[in-house]
Amino acid sequence: MTELLHEISVPPTRVSGRRWVFLRRVVATPGGSAGLAVLLLLVGSALFADLVAPYSPIKMGVGKRFLPPSLAFPMGTDEFGRDVFSRILFGSRLTLMIGAIAVGISMSAGLVIGLVAAYRGGWIEKVLMRTTDMLLSFTETLIALACVAVLGPSLANAMIAVGIAGIPLYARTCHSAALVERSKPYFEASVAAGAGHCRLIVLHLLPNILPTMIVVATLGISSAILAAAALSFLGLGAQPPQPEWGAMLSGARDYLNRGPWLMAVPGLAIAVTVLGFNLLGDAVRTALDPREAGE
Amino acid sequence: MWFFILGRLAMAFLTILATTVAVTLLIHLVPGDPVQIMYAQSQGTTPEQIEAIRHGLGLDQPIYVQYASYLWRLAHGDLGYTIRGHQPVLDVILQRLPNTLALAAAAMVVAIAIGLPVGFMAAWRRGSWLDTALMAGAIAGISIPGFWLGLLLLLVFAVDLGWFPVSGTGPANLVLPAVTLGLSNAAVIARMTRSSMIDTMRQDFVRTAEAKGLPKATILRRHVLRAGLVPIVTMIGLQFAFMMGGAIVVENIFSWNGVGRMAIEAIFQRDYPVIQGFILAFATVVVAVSLIVDVIYALVDPRIRRS
Repeated sequence: MTELLHEISVPPTRVSGRRWVFLRRVVATPGGSAGLAVLLLLVGSALFADLVAPYSPIKMGVGKRFLPPSLAFPMGTDEFGRDVFSRILFGSRLTLMIGAIAVGISMSAGLVIGLVAAYRGGWIEKVLMRTTDMLLSFTETLIALACVAVLGPSLANAMIAVGIAGIPLYARTCHSAALVERSKPYFEASVAAGAGHCRLIVLHLLPNILPTMIVVATLGISSAILAAAALSFLGLGAQPPQPEWGAMLSGARDYLNRGPWLMAVPGLAIAVTVLGFNLLGDAVRTALDPREAGE
Repeated sequence: MWFFILGRLAMAFLTILATTVAVTLLIHLVPGDPVQIMYAQSQGTTPEQIEAIRHGLGLDQPIYVQYASYLWRLAHGDLGYTIRGHQPVLDVILQRLPNTLALAAAAMVVAIAIGLPVGFMAAWRRGSWLDTALMAGAIAGISIPGFWLGLLLLLVFAVDLGWFPVSGTGPANLVLPAVTLGLSNAAVIARMTRSSMIDTMRQDFVRTAEAKGLPKATILRRHVLRAGLVPIVTMIGLQFAFMMGGAIVVENIFSWNGVGRMAIEAIFQRDYPVIQGFILAFATVVVAVSLIVDVIYALVDPRIRRS
């Protein structure tokens, strides 16, 4: 995440009027189209899991235990004779939900904190941003762990924990983007024209920092998914029999020898998903940042 | 310079102080009665015993009294006692912290040894197939979950090939966890190094050096590398915190006896004194490292300490 911060501190916000050009630029890069393809695949399998999945994701004994991948069971069966392919398909729902909810929490709280700090300035800004910096230095892992320690292990709590852990990054990015906008002539003109607080924040600041925040969110989904999967892997997130990929991986630890595919498949699913969002985020950022694009 | 160091010291102290507040509040944020939750796993606690424990932990007192007594005990090196086993939390942490630091340090060596040259090569040959390949590798490295990489390495090098022990805490056991943690962070360091080097290559003094007709290798060694390394050192220092965070997961894969593994066990057992101690210890290490990095940064780059 340090790296994320470092790189995101640069992007400007000059895209608003050219959204379609921007989208085309995202898809034009190999990384961008690959990322978009992964995203579509993920959304597709989440939407159509009921139709595509050959078996129930939690029904035990649909096949023998530890069947290696075959035509009947494309990804084999696990220690309870459940179909791994079906579990992976249904797991994509959980993964998307985790990403969306966690980023939603980080984004909404981060926007409020960042905007208030940048708009009000003074001691409010100092306190908010100092706290944010402090939390940033403690890393998301520690904050997420502390949240889970308070709330107790469950998938919902893991999502909340990852969401809370992400707030400092979003607040910091939103704050610096809003500061840039606040110093621009159009903003000063609106202040001079007597625009109210709400108008200034909602109609002027918010739309102009949104492109920057979208980059953070796209990259943030991948780290949120990764963090939540790590919590589930540690047993602090999704609980059995939920077909969550991190939890599946955790269950596979005891069967490294008997069913290596049990470990390979969910790990690959997480890696491909995270890679997809990372590629997409990189493409979005490059499309937004002409300095990098102008190569 | 001294003013700068004093300022940073004050910030570090404030951060730790804020952590102690958070850690005291932590137990009160738990939904339900923390004492009952903590002892839910041990049988046969009577209501009288629960009250006695509550009193023993000071949880029946006003929160500011609790905080003051927490600080007082902290100043005397007392972090409380573990719920399971009734050992001093400080001893438990001090016993394991060196293992975690050793893991993080070894992983840092791996990460730097791979990340720096890769990032430098990519920046040097930027736009070439080498750059594309290296950066594709880096983004794959960032995307592969550390816990999966750890399991893969475990399966191949410990279970199948038998080169390394599967679990435990010793020098031979350190290799696989350090590589696991190091590889993920190497990818991050490679990307940071590349962008920092490219930024430096765009500087006026590099263009001047080129205009003077200096050989490319000399420009890279004398000008780009020297100037570009300064921000990288800071970023690598910050990376240490993430290394510590990653260690929590990696320790659990390889049963490495560090504070991360201890923390996860404590969360499962609802052993709040241990969790509090862990958070405080983690924060202290992170703050200390970033303080050291700041001071080194100021020593290397005079602009920082004057600003």
